[in-house]
Amino acid sequence: MTYTCSSGVELLMDYLEGVLPAETNAALEQHVARCERCTAFVASYQATPRILRDATATSLPADVAASLRAFLRTRTTAFKNS
Amino acid sequence: MVVPEPSDETLAARAAAGDDSAFETIVRRYQARVFRLASRLTSDADAPDVLQETFLQVYRHLPSFRGESQFGTWLYRIATNAALMHRRGAKRRAAESLEEYLPRFDADGVHAATPAELQVASQADELLDRQTLADRARDMIARLPDHYRDAFVLRDLEEMSTADVAQALGIEPAAVRQRVHRARLMVRGYLSDLLGVKP
Repeated sequence: MTYTCSSGVELLMDYLEGVLPAETNAALEQHVARCERCTAFVASYQATPRILRDATATSLPADVAASLRAFLRTRTTAFKNS
Repeated sequence: MVVPEPSDETLAARAAAGDDSAFETIVRRYQARVFRLASRLTSDADAPDVLQETFLQVYRHLPSFRGESQFGTWLYRIATNAALMHRRGAKRRAAESLEEYLPRFDADGVHAATPAELQVASQADELLDRQTLADRARDMIARLPDHYRDAFVLRDLEEMSTADVAQALGIEPAAVRQRVHRARLMVRGYLSDLLGVKP
């Protein structure tokens, strides 16, 4: 089995998660090793989660933490007394 | 002598037995992570409500925690459900096609873009202003169809295992991989587009 860029891309996640049969794995690796475009594509595909993770990492605002404490104090007391 | 921090499971057992300080420790240990998850699955504006609902549910269900999964996994599942329930009650956005961000191929199945163009998305954090990237990244996640967004957030951003994501979303691991893949293709293409390059 040989792969094109297009058919290889469709298997990328399964490849990275190690769930493909060994034969498919080897054929895919062979394609990527010979294909400059796929090598570049795979690099950006693998970098995407890290970039989004860093860009969307929020910290908990102090006022939200304080509201949470006040909320839980009231509601857990009510729950215990119910 | 350094006293080791009690494990989650120890704290959960103490909290279930009525030890309020153990529950407070659990809250302190997980509140930032739950808030981050909630803001990614809903929005910054809705995350405080999801945070409160999550820990209220955790408190109520602590006696039923049996240790069949890790405590963090169990708590994350509650947080995910709280976020999805919250979103279900909110006004829905119109479905949007994001096909334009998928990779392009020629008639022979070869990438239409050049290697340099294909790689540019991986430099988005170096080439874009930090605040711009943060704003656009949040916007992109919000634009993803819900089933792609949930899988992508849990697997790729919160770094849960595929098996745990499958359990949290009630779908098969193969479906998780397929959804994460589609979402990642779209997000990757969006990053390219931000840099003026067609995916």
